[in-house]
Parts: sequence; C-alpha cells; structure tokens
Amino acid sequence: MISVDNTMLDSLKQYVGTTENQLKAWDNLSDIGLPGAKSESYKFSAVQNILNKNIDWAQEGKDTFDKSLLYEEKGSHLVFINGSFDKNYSQIEEDLSLKVGDVTEGKHDPFSLLNASLATNEVRIESGSQSPVYIYHFNSAGISNPRIRVKVKSGHSFKVFEKVVPSEEGKSFTNSYTEFEVEPNAFGYHTKVQNYHHQAFTHETVFARVSRDSHFYNNTFSFEGALVRNNLTINLEDENCEGHMYGLFLLDKKSHIDNNTSVDHMKPNCYSNELYKGILDENSTGVFNGKIYVRQDAQKTNAFQSNNNILLSDNATIHTKPQLEIWADDVKCSHGCTSGQLDEDAIFYLRARGIKERNAKAMILNAFATETMDHIHSDAVKEEVRQLIDLKLS
Amino acid sequence: MISIKNLHASIEDKEILKGINLEVKAGEVHAIMGPNGSGKSTLASVLAGREEYEVSAGSVDYLGEDLLDLDPEERAQKGIFLAFQYPIEIPGVSTTNFLKTALNQVREARGEKALDAVNFLKLMKEKMKLVDIDQSLLSRSLNEGFSGGEKKRNEIFQMAMLEPKLSILDETDSGLDIDALKIVADGVNKLKSENTATIVVTHYQRLLDYIVPDYVHVLYNGQIVKSGDKHLALELEEKGYDWIKEELAVV
Repeated sequence: MISVDNTMLDSLKQYVGTTENQLKAWDNLSDIGLPGAKSESYKFSAVQNILNKNIDWAQEGKDTFDKSLLYEEKGSHLVFINGSFDKNYSQIEEDLSLKVGDVTEGKHDPFSLLNASLATNEVRIESGSQSPVYIYHFNSAGISNPRIRVKVKSGHSFKVFEKVVPSEEGKSFTNSYTEFEVEPNAFGYHTKVQNYHHQAFTHETVFARVSRDSHFYNNTFSFEGALVRNNLTINLEDENCEGHMYGLFLLDKKSHIDNNTSVDHMKPNCYSNELYKGILDENSTGVFNGKIYVRQDAQKTNAFQSNNNILLSDNATIHTKPQLEIWADDVKCSHGCTSGQLDEDAIFYLRARGIKERNAKAMILNAFATETMDHIHSDAVKEEVRQLIDLKLS
Repeated sequence: MISIKNLHASIEDKEILKGINLEVKAGEVHAIMGPNGSGKSTLASVLAGREEYEVSAGSVDYLGEDLLDLDPEERAQKGIFLAFQYPIEIPGVSTTNFLKTALNQVREARGEKALDAVNFLKLMKEKMKLVDIDQSLLSRSLNEGFSGGEKKRNEIFQMAMLEPKLSILDETDSGLDIDALKIVADGVNKLKSENTATIVVTHYQRLLDYIVPDYVHVLYNGQIVKSGDKHLALELEEKGYDWIKEELAVV
C-alpha cells in the first residue's frame, strides 16, 4: 500500500467548490494524491513540501491590480484577480467570445485536478478575429486557481499572451490551468513571461490539443521565482500537425524553475520541435524534462528536441532529462543536450579585439539567449523579454 | 615598439617559453619560424594576454609600458592585434555588430568619439575592399560556418578596421590556398606603414614570399636560437630545421 501524504489537501479541503465536476475532481485527486517526495516527475522540485512550508492556505488575497503593467497593444486584455476573472478591469474586443461558467472536466494530473476543484469558475474564450488576447493574473497571498479554456476555431490564427503578476507583499501560490483546443486547420499560439520574485510560487499547466493540419506554439521565458513549475503538454491528435515549444530560463539568486514538457505524437506525419535554453547564475536551480512520445500509429513522425545550458556559478544547478518513448518504426527523432560553462576561448577572442570582459560575456550570453526569441509575435512582449535579458546580463 | 627580455612562460606547470629576447621597432616586419611545438603560438598568445599562460620571468615593454600588466582588452585598445591561428566561431553574434562594439570600445579608450552607424558602415565598405571580403559574410554569425580562407580573411579585415600598431599574425597562412594567401598578404602589406610593426609567426617560407620580413628568427625549444634576414627563411625552407638542431647540439 502506497501511503499518500495528504497534509496539503487536508488544509485545502474546506475550499473545494460545490459543483458535481469539482467534487468529482476532488475525489480523483484524493485518490491519487499530490506528488510527494518520491514522485519521479517532481524529483527535483519537492513542491508539496515547499508549498506547505511557505503558503498560508487560509490567507485571502487582496486586489493588487496595477493598470500600468498591462501591455499597450491592440487586442483584448483579460484581467484575473486572485484567480477570478474581473470584467471591470478587462478590455474585451467585440469579436472575442468570452464566457464565464462552471468548471468542466480537464486534464487528469494532480495539479490540474486541484485547479478544477478550487477554481471559482472557468473562463472560456473562442477565437474571433486576428487580434490577440493578453491575460494577466494579479495574485496575492494564499492560493489562486485561474482556469482558462481557449478554443482556436477552424481556419483561425489566435495568439494568447499570459502573465502572472504575483504581489510582492507576501507569499503566494498560483496554480493555473490553461487549455487550448486547436481545431482543424488553425494556428494556436501561447507565450508566457515569468518574471517573479523570491516570494512567488507557481504551478502552471498548459495543455494543448491539436487537430488535423493545425499548429500550436508555446514560448516560455522565465527569469525569477521561488518555485516555478511549468507543465506543458501538447497532444498532436491527428495527422499533419505541428507542435512547437521554445523556452528560456535565465536565473539568478535562489530561483528554482522546473520545466516539464511533453509532446504526444498520436497520428502519422506530424512534426514537433523543442528548444530550451538555460543560463544559471548564483544559487539558482533549473530543471528541464522533455518527453517525446511517439505512438505506434504515428509513422513518419519528425520530432526534434534540444536543451542547452550555461552555468555561470559553482553554486548553480541544472537537471536535464530528455525522455523519448518511441513505438513507431518509421520516425525521425533527435535530441541533444549540453550543459557547460561560458566558452573561455570565445571570451578571449572578443577581449583580444578590445571588448571589455564584462561586455564580452554579455555579448555571448545574449547571443545564446536570443535564439529562443524567434517566435514572439508581439512587439511589446518581445521588447519586454529583450529588456529583461539585458537587465539580467548586465 | 616592443622589447621582450628573457621571457619565460608556462602552461599547467610546463615551461614553454624559456627566455625569449626580441626587439621590434616601428616599420619592421619580423618573422618567427620554427618546428612544431617550439613555442611560436605560445609567444603570440602571451603577447595578446591569454590568461592560461603564466609568465614566470622576464619583461615585455610595449611603447614604454609594462605589457604584462595589461588585460587583453587594454592591449588591444593600445594597438596590439593578434590574428588568430584558429579564429573562434561565435554563434548569434554578427561580425558587423561585434566589430562595431570592438571598434567603439577601442576608440573610447583612445579618447576618440564613437562612430555612428553611417560612418561605421562607410569605414567597413572601405576596408572590405582591402581583403576582398563579401558583405554577406559580415552579416552572418561571427566565423560560424566560414571556410578556413574566409576566417583568415575576416581576421585581416578586423585588423584593417582596428588599425593596430603591432600586428601579430599567428600562422595566418595555415589552411589557405595560394589565391587566398595572396589576398591576405596583400591586405597585410597595404596596412603596413613606418609607424606600425608586424610579427609573422609561420611554419613555412611561402607566406614570406608575399610579406617580406626584415628579420627572421628561429624559435626552438622555447628560445630564439638563430636570427637573420629573409635569406634565413629560404635556407630553412631548403634544409628544414634539422641543421639548426644539429648546430645547437654541437654547441
């Protein structure tokens, strides 16, 4: 009998929602429990332990909305306060379909179930025109469970940018769930910028289901956080799909970022590409887990994965694990991962041309990081990422 | 311009340079030849400021300053240029962007104003002609995927841009076919003046047909064992290095 540690669940039990779906999710979760110390996929991030020590579950969040943090871009701007959608703060374009409703069923892993159990509601948006959607989560104290389902309709191209803004006034835990359903012949797109602080704890699930002839892109840029866990799953459910995953984690202080990614090739003739890069300084920790699953049916799969890391300090740590599971026999899969220090030869080369050591290092790291920025389809977000990179490297 | 006295240098406790003495004046071209492993590239690296090498004895005076006291970037700013034997590939950094940064940091250190984009590009166009280098090459990542010849040409192009006082060419001829060699040598010759000096490190006499040295030194076992004029290079080409080793054994 496996003993399940339920301390965290016991503390949260009283906040579970009352709808049938929520009670069902809670029952499911109680059966499987939250990942404990021995969980393989949380091996390098003892989430439950850390959260229990840091988060005051009973504490209620305040309204920490700050209008100046919204991007000045055309499109819809959706604001969530402590996990609940706030219509007054939001700006919704006419052609965007948005519904706030009860929680429906989603992904069945522990933190997704926890989100379903505790979410105050579920926000469902459907692609309308070409104009993008910017989503902001202003979270403070205790736990927030924003729950969003996005439908990209056939023939549409739909871009979603999402950002958590954790309050600096206390420790908070954001357990978000964002789901994409990409209909046939559509383009789904999601970009996240995670620049938090030492009191911010998050578990962010992104789950995309991609239909025939469709593409889905995810970009994740992480700069700081006490504990940030990203669960990114892309299911390529029909033929001729593409899944793209790009990420950068540029960490210092005691930041801990855990990127757990997975792509499931279910049908033939699909393509997936993944590139994650890490730069780790001071006492930071980075985790990269990249799973490629190719089912027996998924012949002619092309799947590529690459993870490159640079450690700038003796006290920084990187755990990287490519994980390929291939059941089809006619596939092209490749993966590569490197972890090392800054190339001294390259630094010397630049210095020998008169460039100061500090600038030489920044130049090389900048070039290394920039490769992950190729798919930011928003000038404001691109500018923000560029500034954050410059700030961290200067 | 540069005066090297009794220079000893080692890497990982292995002594490579065992007392080098060399004096180079403005307007001169010195060739340093010698068999593999004699310390030629080490000498070039030490002069450029490579930190892996530990200088255990000796002094290097460069324009009245103690060269060994300076960081690599300070040496470059004060006019020392090393053309690398193996130029480094740096993905993601374009040659243009890199050179603009380098040139402006050098100019800043020399108390000159930074060049704006327009003037920088103008200067670049002018210098590109010197080594017959293509614009498309310069917008690519620094040396990435360049052929051997393109890399060496890029080195001389950088040299033309930075206008050094003392250029050290470390086996610039290696990996070059005869046409590329001519272009590179031609570039070096055009950059020469009575105010600049050049140290050419090479295995073969071939390069010295095009860059004619005033002095030729033979480096063997960490020391300069023989010096002469350009005829020494021809003699070496004909006889190899063995006769020098034998001569030394006799002594």
